[in-house]
Amino acid sequence: MTNDTSSGYRDAEPDVEHPTDSGHTLQLSDVGGLEGAHPSVVAARDRFSDAIVDHEVVSGDEHILHVRRDASLEVIRWLKEDPEHTYNYLSDVTAVDYGEGRPLQVVYQLFSIPFRRFLRVKVELPLESLEIESVVPLWQAANWLEREVYDMFGITFLNHPDLRRILMPDNYAEGHPLRKDFPLRGRFTRAEQTRRALARQPEDDYIPAEFDGTRRPQVVAWKETGGEAVPREVMQPMAPSPDQDS
Amino acid sequence: MTQDSTGGSGLPGGMFGAGTPTFLTTKVDFVVNWARRNSLWPMPFGTACCAIEMMASAASTHDLARFGMERMSFSPRQADVLICAGRVPYKLAPVLRRIWDQMPQPKWAVSMGACASSGGVFDAYSMVQGIDTIIPVDVYVPGCPPRPEALIYGLIMIQEKIRGETLARHQEHRREVAGEAGHPIAGPAEVMALSGPFGNSTHQNRPSGLVPGIPSERPDDRIP
Repeated sequence: MTNDTSSGYRDAEPDVEHPTDSGHTLQLSDVGGLEGAHPSVVAARDRFSDAIVDHEVVSGDEHILHVRRDASLEVIRWLKEDPEHTYNYLSDVTAVDYGEGRPLQVVYQLFSIPFRRFLRVKVELPLESLEIESVVPLWQAANWLEREVYDMFGITFLNHPDLRRILMPDNYAEGHPLRKDFPLRGRFTRAEQTRRALARQPEDDYIPAEFDGTRRPQVVAWKETGGEAVPREVMQPMAPSPDQDS
Repeated sequence: MTQDSTGGSGLPGGMFGAGTPTFLTTKVDFVVNWARRNSLWPMPFGTACCAIEMMASAASTHDLARFGMERMSFSPRQADVLICAGRVPYKLAPVLRRIWDQMPQPKWAVSMGACASSGGVFDAYSMVQGIDTIIPVDVYVPGCPPRPEALIYGLIMIQEKIRGETLARHQEHRREVAGEAGHPIAGPAEVMALSGPFGNSTHQNRPSGLVPGIPSERPDDRIP
């Protein structure tokens, strides 16, 4: 129990000497302040001094790295691929809108399986240009997560292989529901919403290749093109099905 | 009692199987309605927690099969009564409509629970505010979720409704005009009185979206 100290950082850290064995209560200054409590934060600030805007610690031991937008992919790629850090598991990609004209924040929840460390990376986007580089080249798991962020917040992920709505229907014209300026009940009347819903067919939520089994996995198409953005019609071939029963 | 009086079958005279010709006279309506109401096969359209209670209704404790709902028909082509149990988002609305259209006549619909009947607490951009704007509904079962007894009571109400049907007015019973769903049969005053403080699927005291005005000024707001 002596390792459960006031720094709140409970993960195994072989580099840090815990002086609690001598009866001394561990202070933040013993591990180099808030940043010293997380080795990846120290290393990232040394390497990307321009790109790291800020660093904060919330809830005791959750470290948040604020990164400039134009360097976000570079920093995250380094966090993933550097052998000292190896954040190889992407828990989540989401976004936050604090309203009142403040910039939107894209949030990456990273976890390093070999080092058992969490890190949260936040990137601020001004409302005028909601664009950010996609991290699908790093994690395939980001594909649907970024589609959800695009659907709910209207943030465009550059070089995403298949950026379209994932929760709302394709023809949804009322905007992006999780934005603070979105009214709770939508922008259309209930009558118009019902009319638009009934004008759709259940098949509209699928692409034809999903019905006849000719759809190829997206990861194959992505590797064939070497990471370039793939047009949707190339990635999802439409093969005619002679006996398609609706 | 002689051997001849039983027609050689051992049964009392006048019963089926007896040798003497006997007649059973009844109305066609009675026979048809008796057959229909005692073999209602439900089409379970369960989307949320109401579906758990629906499953409990079919399980051994409550045993929906006692009333003729012997088989949950997971194909709409062999179903008689649609049980919509749970909330329905707008994205699911065309699916519900398609399943209702695939069910053969005669067919009935049960709206089970607060969400299916009125949207419930989900008064949001994504949720259908009552499935009677999508399909015609025969019985609304209140509750959040309703107990299995409530669902069984609702199905018995459908049986009572079938008991009152007659083949002479078959077309009238089966009438389903496109676009008529959502129009309440009751008048505006009755709907207003029934809606209470919280509103219901046909009369809402809550505005939708950015449409100005109070609901009583916009009676057609929810009618597609």
